[in-house]
Amino acid sequence: MKPQTKGLLLDTTRCIGCGACALACKERNKLPKTSDDVLKDELSDKTYSVVKQVGSRYVRRMCMHCVTPSCASACPVAAFEKTAAGPVIYHESKCMGCRYCMIACPFGIPKYEWEKKAPLVRKCDLCADRLEKGLKTGCATACPTGATTFGDRNALIAEAKERFRANPGRYNEHIYGVEEVGGTSVLIISDGKAEELGYPAGLDGTAPAFLTWRVLNIIPDIVMTGAVLLGGIYWIRNRRDEVEAAEGSHHETPKEH
Amino acid sequence: MNAMPKLEIPRFTFWRGVLLVILALGTYATVIRIFKGLAGSTNLTDSFPWGIWIGFDILCGVALAAGGFTISATVYIFNLEKFRPIVRPAILTAFLGYCLVVVALMFDLGRPWNIWHPLVMWNPHSVMFEVGWCVTLYTTVLALEFSPIVFERFKMTKTLHVLHAIMPVLVVLGVLLSTLHQSSLGSFYLIVPTKLHALWYSPLIPLYFFLTALTLGCAMTIVESFLSHRAFGKQLEMELLVPLGRVALLILALTSVIRFADFRHRGILGLPFQPTYESRLWLAEMLIGVLAPGILLAIPKVRKHTTGLFLAALLIVMGVIMNRMNVSITGMERSSGSIYIPALTEVFITLSVVGVGFLIFALAVKFLPVFPEHEMKEARPIVVPEGGNVVGQPLRTLPVPALVVVAIAFVGAAALGADGVRRREVAPGPPAPGATKPELAAALASFQPPKEIVFPQAPDSPGPASFRHASHVDASAPDCLSCHGNTYSFLGRKEAAPAGQMHDAKHCGGCHDGTSAFAIDADCSPCHKAE
Repeated sequence: MKPQTKGLLLDTTRCIGCGACALACKERNKLPKTSDDVLKDELSDKTYSVVKQVGSRYVRRMCMHCVTPSCASACPVAAFEKTAAGPVIYHESKCMGCRYCMIACPFGIPKYEWEKKAPLVRKCDLCADRLEKGLKTGCATACPTGATTFGDRNALIAEAKERFRANPGRYNEHIYGVEEVGGTSVLIISDGKAEELGYPAGLDGTAPAFLTWRVLNIIPDIVMTGAVLLGGIYWIRNRRDEVEAAEGSHHETPKEH
Repeated sequence: MNAMPKLEIPRFTFWRGVLLVILALGTYATVIRIFKGLAGSTNLTDSFPWGIWIGFDILCGVALAAGGFTISATVYIFNLEKFRPIVRPAILTAFLGYCLVVVALMFDLGRPWNIWHPLVMWNPHSVMFEVGWCVTLYTTVLALEFSPIVFERFKMTKTLHVLHAIMPVLVVLGVLLSTLHQSSLGSFYLIVPTKLHALWYSPLIPLYFFLTALTLGCAMTIVESFLSHRAFGKQLEMELLVPLGRVALLILALTSVIRFADFRHRGILGLPFQPTYESRLWLAEMLIGVLAPGILLAIPKVRKHTTGLFLAALLIVMGVIMNRMNVSITGMERSSGSIYIPALTEVFITLSVVGVGFLIFALAVKFLPVFPEHEMKEARPIVVPEGGNVVGQPLRTLPVPALVVVAIAFVGAAALGADGVRRREVAPGPPAPGATKPELAAALASFQPPKEIVFPQAPDSPGPASFRHASHVDASAPDCLSCHGNTYSFLGRKEAAPAGQMHDAKHCGGCHDGTSAFAIDADCSPCHKAE
């Protein structure tokens, strides 16, 4: 991964549940208000980022911007793209609406415009256009406590470790997203474990996409071996009949037409 | 069974009536789908985005069409000429099946007018891209394989000659493409190891999909032969169907051995016997689709019994359908945190797709030389037995153990299914919010009021005005949303409003009205920095 890949560090121990990140997200994406209480919002085609009380802490949910995204691997028309800058972006004009991305995503992030006649998939794009202008993401800009920090992914990992070092006992010292599903550009640190935050636990370090690629890679072999094998069987089986016929054997292969 | 002619006509009309009702409901559902979108016509949600249109119409539809490549390989490649009489119906069924799969897909796609995109917008990393290409190519191959029937009808001998010459190439291509996409429908699920239940998720899922498609290819050929026999009076080639049954048994056994080894390797041999929704439905699937037909086919007397063979094949078909539904729906529910029950409109569309398949098949048989001429009896639905095993033998002549197996399979699967559904539960979501608000002392220590904002000087203003967050926010309980999110932007727009407007109710005046906060008309200096 390129060192300049941007990302976010989410620190639940710094979150005060003010909701600024979620509303800044709505502002940047020009999304309508979906609830009177921003903490009650759920991810949807009209909400790309939420912050909720989970157990005894506030936790954000948004696209994790995987290093090897399942959605981008699954999409048959390459509508999703992991850019060099970090965001996983969506080229909506390509989408045919199969929703395989929604099935594939290990975090259940892509949402669909079910109500629309020409629906599209919706999710956070890590403010790709703001990043191009050298700005931080909307959520990181709005966050008043540093619970959402924007930066180079490598620098964020160093920052997380520094917070562990400077605050002994404060954290469950694991950076969620360094290893999980092959790495994500959004990293999470907390005093709780992943499952206590409502995040899928026990994800291993292999990107799920590799499970597919491993099989897709052997397809050319299957095609070539299969073609030779089937062709060979065909040749042998029919040659036998031809020889029989040539040697004046009694019967000819009954041909139908 | 007395098949009296006067009973046959209303019988046939009954099915026609059923078809008409189904097509009417399907038309209604199509209108709803077009005008009300996916939300108005399906029970699909963000947490459960694939329903029966994918689970049944696509996954089962493609598998049920597997007879095409199984039989054409048998005849053209393995040169088992005796199977030639059933090549055409098998290819016709496959061709129809694939066409209908594409039609069904148009209902499910959110933007069906973009269905051609995978042909030009490539993503070789996507299984669905590969399946899209395979299905497109294979449907073309099937059309070519089927076309001699049409050309024969119109006596175009030259074209026939060409097609005949390239047929082996077409068949090899068809078999390869089928092998690829039948297994790839299973590969769809390789990418969701944490979402699909372990009873169905396996690194071997592509192999399972391929092997079950092969078994199903044999079983569907048997079932179709029986249905054609009953509907069109076509002869029943038991001398072909019994070996097919034997092949099906062989592949069933092979699949079971592989599955056992796979389960043992993954250490989940005990999983099927836990009292859960998934385990019960998995057992029902195995009972209907593997155990019962396996036992039936293993008994030579049953295998050679027309009704026995038909029942075994039917059980295999039902078993594979259950498998595809279990993979796409049962196995995905728990992780989705939701329960999916298809909407009526979804069911109507699915039924119509099946109904249209039957209708076109019947029309094709009527107008095209699908079955060899000499095999067609006079257009009578049921051929009266003259001797031997021409017609379905009565059920009661089946050996008693076979009848018991069939009874146990159906009753057992129904009981398992009912018990499973009773145990259906979704995964516990994220922990519920605690009763009390989180303890924020540590988090608040990191609170840093945003920087001071300086609005540039407007004409006839005494100077640039500054807004200091520090003096507007209570650092012990910051409430960003009392100002941001509604009235004030989070992201920029720091330019001053047009002259004079900064004082109005939409801006500083909203609070600084002399009541909530000090009025701003009295003294300029607290906010405006003099020149």
